[in-house]
Amino acid sequence: MTTVLPNQVPAGTDDADQTCGGPLLLLIASGLLWLVLGGTLALLNLIQVYTPAFLADCAWLTYGRLQAMQETALLYGWAGNAGLAVALWVLARLGGAPLRGPNYIVAGGLFWNLGVTLALVGIAVGDASGHGMFQLPRYVQPFLLFAFGAIAVPGVLAWTGRRNPTTYAAQWYAVAALFLFPWFFSVASVMLTFAPVRGTLQAVVATWYAQNVFSLWLAPVAIAAVYYLLPKITGRVIPSYDFAVYGFWSLLFFGCWMGGRLLVGAPVPAWVSTMAIANAWVVLFHHIIVFFNVRDVFRPGANTTLKFLALGMGAYLLSAVIDTAFSARALAVTTQFTHFQQAQTHLAMGAVALILTGALYHMTPRLAGGNWPSVALIRAHFMAYIIGFVLLVGSLAVAGWIQGSALNDPSVAFTQIAARTKVWLQLATAAQALLVVAHVLFAAHFFKLVGGQMAKCCATRGILTSEATVS
Amino acid sequence: MSSPASPDPRHEPSGMTDENLITAHEKEAAGAPDTHAQYRLLPLVLLFVFSGLIFYAGAYLNRYSGHFSRDIFDERQLPASGQPAVAAIDPVVLGKRQYALACVTCHMPNGMGVPNLYPPLVGTEWVLGSEERLIAIVVHGLKGPITVKGNVYSAAAMPAFGQVPGGGYNWSDERIAAVLTYIRQEWGNEAGAITAQQVAAVRTAHPDRKEWTEPELLALP
Amino acid sequence: MKNGPLFFLGLFAALGISWAGLLIGTNAQLGGLAPHFDENQDLAFPAQFPGVAEQGLRVYRDLGCASCHTQQVRRPGFGTDQERGWGERQSVARDYIYQSQPQLGAMRIGPDLANYGSRAAEAGIGAPALLAYLYNGHEGMPAYRMLFEQRKLVGESSAKALVGGAPEGYELVPTPRAQALVAYLLSLKQSYELPEAMPYEPAEAAKGGSQ
Repeated sequence: MTTVLPNQVPAGTDDADQTCGGPLLLLIASGLLWLVLGGTLALLNLIQVYTPAFLADCAWLTYGRLQAMQETALLYGWAGNAGLAVALWVLARLGGAPLRGPNYIVAGGLFWNLGVTLALVGIAVGDASGHGMFQLPRYVQPFLLFAFGAIAVPGVLAWTGRRNPTTYAAQWYAVAALFLFPWFFSVASVMLTFAPVRGTLQAVVATWYAQNVFSLWLAPVAIAAVYYLLPKITGRVIPSYDFAVYGFWSLLFFGCWMGGRLLVGAPVPAWVSTMAIANAWVVLFHHIIVFFNVRDVFRPGANTTLKFLALGMGAYLLSAVIDTAFSARALAVTTQFTHFQQAQTHLAMGAVALILTGALYHMTPRLAGGNWPSVALIRAHFMAYIIGFVLLVGSLAVAGWIQGSALNDPSVAFTQIAARTKVWLQLATAAQALLVVAHVLFAAHFFKLVGGQMAKCCATRGILTSEATVS
Repeated sequence: MSSPASPDPRHEPSGMTDENLITAHEKEAAGAPDTHAQYRLLPLVLLFVFSGLIFYAGAYLNRYSGHFSRDIFDERQLPASGQPAVAAIDPVVLGKRQYALACVTCHMPNGMGVPNLYPPLVGTEWVLGSEERLIAIVVHGLKGPITVKGNVYSAAAMPAFGQVPGGGYNWSDERIAAVLTYIRQEWGNEAGAITAQQVAAVRTAHPDRKEWTEPELLALP
Repeated sequence: MKNGPLFFLGLFAALGISWAGLLIGTNAQLGGLAPHFDENQDLAFPAQFPGVAEQGLRVYRDLGCASCHTQQVRRPGFGTDQERGWGERQSVARDYIYQSQPQLGAMRIGPDLANYGSRAAEAGIGAPALLAYLYNGHEGMPAYRMLFEQRKLVGESSAKALVGGAPEGYELVPTPRAQALVAYLLSLKQSYELPEAMPYEPAEAAKGGSQ
């Protein structure tokens, strides 16, 4: 049924793996801690939707602030850290040399996490910027920019100093993610915080930024991981690879125009959202090519990494189709301003998270120099994650559709809408709770593996060596 | 989901080295030599799909962009198709305010004027009669005796309100039209509205005009 | 793709074109919007934002009110914003030129607030009633008690104190933040006409006539 090559080289002794493990493990570890924290905050936040009195007396955890906190923790804490680790690892592997300047990663990683911590505290005391996906308080923004720059330097060095002059699709996507983020982040920082544009123009900038976070940063990292890991694991060349380059440029050139589809009917000129909807259709070209390239990922009988990649890719493609379809004004009139849009965000960001998780399953043993300790934990994590994810997206979508249909019937009062959506939101809460369980399992497994390796390391050498030499 | 092919989910194989991965794909990207003379359908299909998407997006953009106008918030609208989207000015509302600003001092809130000093506006031949004469009086002003409803007002003196040399008020044509419409339709008066175009016509027809006198006015149509 | 500089130039162009087209483009179109002078009322709209309302906007932002309330009315016929009494016309960019950070929002767990000030004025809801609402919350909305101080009653009770709600010997006094928030909410009005917000009727007759 499958032509997966036998595993001739046990994990951890892969001679080609010359990557510095320590700095990347630092990023992954902090990413996982943020994942657990962010997931927990998201759980509390979901409960508040249908139980407004829950935690309402605590100014730090009032609904609006908690939402900004969980979004920031998951986006910049989890996806940011893990995405950077995966992108750097892919670039280092394909560059054919150990990462240069690993200390930049350590310093940058510490400051990045300090920045995210500061951002969460800042939001809790009321300094949120008030723009979705960009809730960072003003004093955190320059901080994160420099931290990102420091982390990205070794990645770009790995690209410019690569041994092989030819490049591979995974490298394009990873370099694009590392190179473009500082640009659009600083543009958003200037145009929203330090010299804010006027009136509703801020909404145009904020949606442009939020779209770029996905289309130019997180999605490219995830796709880079798939393009790298799929042939690496299966041993098969990507089919129709000569089209990959068109897929890459069509995402880059058209993807960054798509943000305005959230501004249908908003007080901005109609062309902004029309342009976004038109570009959403063109970007489907990117998805078609990616599908043709990585369709092998959907073959049955894969290992854990490929299972996560398959689900992530499925979510990524489904999310593109749903986003495009529901950007149409005839459907947006119902789904706009409802939980349905949150389900769309969960689907898109969940696609990235699934792929990153898959990549971590492959990377971590190699970086830490040992294999995953427990089979049961992997299976439990996988099941909890998948069930939780599907249930969360599904129930939020149903809740959103009910909410949107009821909003479009002026005779239905808000209390009735709340009553009608309550059961679905409770289901979503259960799903989110399952996701938190999954996150905790994954984080615990990770720390068990890394901790065990570190203990082994100390025992054999008597000192805490850098994991760089282990792999 | 655990499949029999990989009983141990910890099994994380590497199918090829990084070096092989890059070179194999480079060969692929360079376009493999067409040794088998195979006809590849996919490039054609993708070209077709891409053209289709671009065509659809272009058509959608063309129809619903409002020609990229900054004033169009409803995507169905086109700048050329609608009338100039300016909120209609209600001449009676505007005229009433203009009247209260200036005219009311002499002609009184009820439009009855002051006997022997300021002529009334209610039911008089000057207000309800020739539009051109009425416009001329307000634009350029009036001096000297005038007969209204059979009473002679010997010391009548009305300043010029229009945008004319020597005029102290410089009211726009729209405002004069509005105030005239107002006095022609208030207090039981029932005459047609005056438009800004009519006012502009009278103003430009007599460029260097000073205040009118009654005989000069009666010479107008 | 062996040419490094060209690759980076391409990346930069992709981002730069969208930046120039979308952000600089809209900024050139709307950055200099002036208020509209209404001849009929002899007033310019939108009205200037009072300073206390500007402070209230920051309270609104830092509490994240925008995660449940939008402040953008969609045009009549697109959704039921008009039927729900949120506004007679679509909100347009000019409505927000005096707000330092318009709180458009993206979620409607509660009603739209773009016209809340006009609605409250019509319903006779003043600052005291709104403060009491904030303190007590509602079935679908949490109470914001952190915006109030419970003080020991010394002598006469404060003029600003809420009526009821406090235990014997105490009074509930809204903080300056609560007062600013209420002033902000009551100043939200889009009940004037703007030329670009005039409803558009797809005129089938006109279309037929022109051909």
